[in-house]
Amino acid sequence: MTREISVTVNGTVHRKSVPVRLLLVDFIRDVLELTGTHQACTYEGVCGACTVQLNGEAVKSCMMLAVQADGQQVTTIEGLAKDGALHPLQKAFKEHHGLQCGFCTSGMIMNAEEFLRVNPRPTEEEIRHALIGNICRCTGYQGIVAAVSAAAEEMSAAGTPARSGS
Amino acid sequence: MTTVEKGWIGARYRRREDLRLLTGKGQYLADLRVVRDPLVVKFVRSSVAHAKISSIDVSAAAQLPGVVAVLTGADIRDKIRPLPTPSTVPLLPGHYPTHWPLAVDRVKFHGEPVVAVVATDKYTAEDAVELVRVEYEDLPLIMNPEKAMAPDSPLVHPDIGTNVMFNMVLTGGLTEAEQSANKARVDAIFANADVVIKDRFYGHRCGVTPMETRGAVASWDAEAGLRVWMSTQRPHIDRLVFSELFDIPQNQVQVSAPRDQGGAFGVKAPVYREPLMIVYLTKLLGRPVQWIETREEHLMAVSQERDQIHELELAADKQGQILGLRDRVIADNGDSCEGVFWGFIMPFYGAALVPNAYHIPDCDISITAVATNKSALSPARAFGSLPGRFALDRAIDMLARRIGKDAADVRRMNLITQLPCNIATGVHYDSGNFVAVWDKLVQEIDVPKFRKEQQVARAQGRYIGLGFGVAVHASGVASEALVPMEGQPGYGSATLKMDSSGTVTVFEGDAPQGQGHETTMAQIAAEILGLHPEDVTVRVGDTNNTPFASGTFGARGGSYTASAVAMAAKAIRDKIVKVVAHDNKLEADPAHFRFEAKSIWHKDRAEALTTIASICNRIIMKPLDLPPGADASLEHTAFFEAKEPMMAFSAHAAFVEADPSSGEFKILRYISSEDVGRVINPLIVEGQVRGGVVQGLSNAMFEEFIYDENGQQLTTSMENYMLASAADAPNIEILHADTPCEHTPLGTRGMGEGVPGPVPGALCNAICDALEPFGIEIRDLPVRPDRVWALLQAAKRRAAG
Amino acid sequence: MYPATIDQYHRPKTVDEARSAYAAAGGEAMYIAGGMSLMQAMKSRVLSCRALIDLSQVSELRGVENSAGRLRIGAMTRYRAVGEARAALGPFQALADAADRVGDRQVRNRGTVGGSLSWNFVVACTPVAALACGATVSILRVDGRRESVSIDDFLQGPMTTALGEGDLLLGIEMAVPAGPASSAYGKWGVVTDALPTIGVAVFVELASASACRNARIAVVGLPGGPARAAKAEARLKSANLDDAAAFAACAKEAAAECETAADPWVGADYKSHLIERLCLEMIGTAVRRARSQLS
Repeated sequence: MTREISVTVNGTVHRKSVPVRLLLVDFIRDVLELTGTHQACTYEGVCGACTVQLNGEAVKSCMMLAVQADGQQVTTIEGLAKDGALHPLQKAFKEHHGLQCGFCTSGMIMNAEEFLRVNPRPTEEEIRHALIGNICRCTGYQGIVAAVSAAAEEMSAAGTPARSGS
Repeated sequence: MTTVEKGWIGARYRRREDLRLLTGKGQYLADLRVVRDPLVVKFVRSSVAHAKISSIDVSAAAQLPGVVAVLTGADIRDKIRPLPTPSTVPLLPGHYPTHWPLAVDRVKFHGEPVVAVVATDKYTAEDAVELVRVEYEDLPLIMNPEKAMAPDSPLVHPDIGTNVMFNMVLTGGLTEAEQSANKARVDAIFANADVVIKDRFYGHRCGVTPMETRGAVASWDAEAGLRVWMSTQRPHIDRLVFSELFDIPQNQVQVSAPRDQGGAFGVKAPVYREPLMIVYLTKLLGRPVQWIETREEHLMAVSQERDQIHELELAADKQGQILGLRDRVIADNGDSCEGVFWGFIMPFYGAALVPNAYHIPDCDISITAVATNKSALSPARAFGSLPGRFALDRAIDMLARRIGKDAADVRRMNLITQLPCNIATGVHYDSGNFVAVWDKLVQEIDVPKFRKEQQVARAQGRYIGLGFGVAVHASGVASEALVPMEGQPGYGSATLKMDSSGTVTVFEGDAPQGQGHETTMAQIAAEILGLHPEDVTVRVGDTNNTPFASGTFGARGGSYTASAVAMAAKAIRDKIVKVVAHDNKLEADPAHFRFEAKSIWHKDRAEALTTIASICNRIIMKPLDLPPGADASLEHTAFFEAKEPMMAFSAHAAFVEADPSSGEFKILRYISSEDVGRVINPLIVEGQVRGGVVQGLSNAMFEEFIYDENGQQLTTSMENYMLASAADAPNIEILHADTPCEHTPLGTRGMGEGVPGPVPGALCNAICDALEPFGIEIRDLPVRPDRVWALLQAAKRRAAG
Repeated sequence: MYPATIDQYHRPKTVDEARSAYAAAGGEAMYIAGGMSLMQAMKSRVLSCRALIDLSQVSELRGVENSAGRLRIGAMTRYRAVGEARAALGPFQALADAADRVGDRQVRNRGTVGGSLSWNFVVACTPVAALACGATVSILRVDGRRESVSIDDFLQGPMTTALGEGDLLLGIEMAVPAGPASSAYGKWGVVTDALPTIGVAVFVELASASACRNARIAVVGLPGGPARAAKAEARLKSANLDDAAAFAACAKEAAAECETAADPWVGADYKSHLIERLCLEMIGTAVRRARSQLS
């Protein structure tokens, strides 16, 4: 019923014994106490607030078990800023008022970060389509889209290379 | 660090809240580690809509390892005082069904809490919930409010003897005689009118579910008292209620809204069953308990609003001047068991606002709120006014079509031009310039030019349309209105403390959920005190260290709370002036002094007299030789009261292209023209408008709470209760035509509450305008391609037959 | 919200290991692919199991391969990979059309073709696209036999397939027609990329620019799950592809022969309208794509 797992989260290896049925989101929030990832729906996996990256790919952590992340790399919002320097997305969300209550923001950004690696020069339509899996109730999305667009521009200008999953 | 030349008020200052929220350091309720090892509570909820509880078997659940307690309604009915109680009941003549936090004897809607399971962890709690066996004996379903009004209808609350929870005529006066006289006068106006528009409109059941669900953590200690952390808009009210219900002196109850809350939009304002149960459990068990609501619970038990029928009539002359309005409003109130709001306060208030921004002195408006076997209506942004806005703005377009005039012209000629005024329901509109806001909008969109484009497009087989919606919305509610209605005050309050190093802490007893108070209130204090907003810290939502406050809801932040902050800052500023003047042997006239760039300047001196840090240090730490009557305090609590409700106003325009073969429609452009008074932070105002409009669109097109013929809720997940995603939302353009509010110290109005209200009307008017050649009228929400198509098919059949 | 207790978790590297784990669990074991559907069922406690066997590291079940006249898609191929392999899919573009718009990109990072087919949810995109593409489904039966089942026989009704307890779906494969052929899938839902209220997939193989050698039309959004529109197919097979009216007639036929039912959001009549509209669009797209292969 429990299993030993070793998960690398934001670059740090965590070895824990967890129930098999423990959701990955609960592993992150309750076992590792990284509460930046949120949970906002029940079993349906629609809201996207729990989005993290598994081996660099955006996934809904409420729709996975912690044991499935054994031996894998997980990146959460807490792992996005490097050495205290905010990621262009984080800067852009602040600049363009891409958040109000902030509850959807972590998941939104972790999804957007991968999206921009896959599509560094997206159109507005492509951005909106990419964010279907992250529901926001406060902003009406316009500030979010502006932020993602601005971050894409900054990252293109800086020639930021695609990051490998970490 | 943003530098600003002119001043902080009006600056697009980037938010203070953002850094922590962007880096995963937010502190929402579920993130808090304020108690050690809380027990977790999960509820068994009713699986049927209306039934007697025959039996509840908790034995298997109670025996599960890790389960600490399992309680039913029978266990608590003699232990917890039921609602209504003085602090949870309005002063309006209505029915307030007695209810406990758990169902006692019967259940009245699918999802009502029946059993509380307490366990050491949430997984175990859920296992235990699965083991509880409840047997029900079905009772007749009451699902239709109109049928429920019939005298022979089965009753949701047999002890009350009727399903009509609230019924009131809102026009004519308070006595029946006055109301009848008014009705007769309005009837005569209708009888003599050139044009009468009469139709039945329906605003469906939907709401504005926030991303963060409800929750509460409570701990009790005989010495320390009751400590509650909860996701709430009104911590001081919650404190009052807990004290009253559980006989704990108020000064031994501390309620904290977490620093960060994931939205509320009204949903977290009422007094609900579950937090009361949490408080009871912590007292009973002597251990901290925690409840975090699931989305499923949230969608079943709260967040359901609107749901009103409007039988609306307009009497007008041939030119389109509206002479009279009749509206018989029927609200589906659900089981009506909800502290403070009881479901019907929203439709009551919405009915009172039906005349909207239009000059219609002669109205006959009534509201009837009817109990059914559904979740009680809970507040949602626009607060009961959305269906009425939709109904009247649709009716005005129908009027325009009937007399062959442009809907834009008919609207403008009917807008209220004289402010202040009282509308027919007695609601006071304090100030503003509705016509200026409207003109700004139509100027921008150039209606005549559009009409030409529309003609050209029609000739090419393309159908584009333009629709309008308007809304006067309250920014907060004054005590004058709130006390008679709710037995509660409406003032804004804030405590400002300056410390000996010249930095400021603002304490507000409200509990923002994303509105950016840490930023806007800091901007206000900084401007008044000559500081940078970074020198101002805003603390919210803790009843221990904040003045009594009504809460963050109803757009009162910009009007009431901000005013109190401004007053407190000004009082401290004046105090500092007294001391500086005294120290420098100058006249203590505040107008001679300037607080700027963290220093204090005098009109006659080139050099700054002192820095703010120095003077604060001097006053607090070296309180010698102070001017007569002055003490060492640089703390001030201010209460802002407005004599009358203050209003904000917006006018919306939607452009759509519609396809008559499929009913599909696409929003080409959406513009809002706003009067929100003096703007503290344009960035935040824009965010509120955009978010509110998209909520209105999502409500209008996608969201729908659906109950089947057995009273079962079909929309208990976000897969079925569908919210607009980024791919579904358009860009919103915003125009400003702000007039300062005369009644607030800064000229600010609150805004945000009313934004979704005009949206469905604007959208549906645009669709009907686009498809005018096909002769359809939208009367019911939601609006979707399939429903537009059905209207088109029906119109085709009518034309053929 | 949370699954019931699960006793065992296995993450085999090969199909053999997966089968052994299943057998060793002695009943009440389930395979998990992407988990996008299964996790919903487990978290809402509609389903539970004692042992969960995670196929995500069984590399032999992954991949899109177009060789020797056959296209093979491994069961564990993620939607995202299907979409990225559009070029390799040849005429079976409908599968990429479907995969590109399932749910959202997070779902597409995890969800799989095999998972969707095994689940056969009443309104899903991949099964109907596979039905139009005439796929053959490879099954590894619990007793070790390998079997190929036509997609028509595989999809048996909502949530019901030819898979028995313990059977493993290995993948799908299609014979790539020698001549010009292509396919398309489109759907309509209440919100963008929602579950399909109606989805239509069309596959055509051309005899010439103006005529079909073969045509398959499949519709999802019907109460019985995805189904072929046989009469519409017959019309399309005999249609003059230069005649717009012929396409319209096929689409009308598809709408007429498919029995729709109202759901809480959309009425039956509109669903018929959607079938007609989407069928017309997808025929047009499939024919256009196929014709582009003509030199």
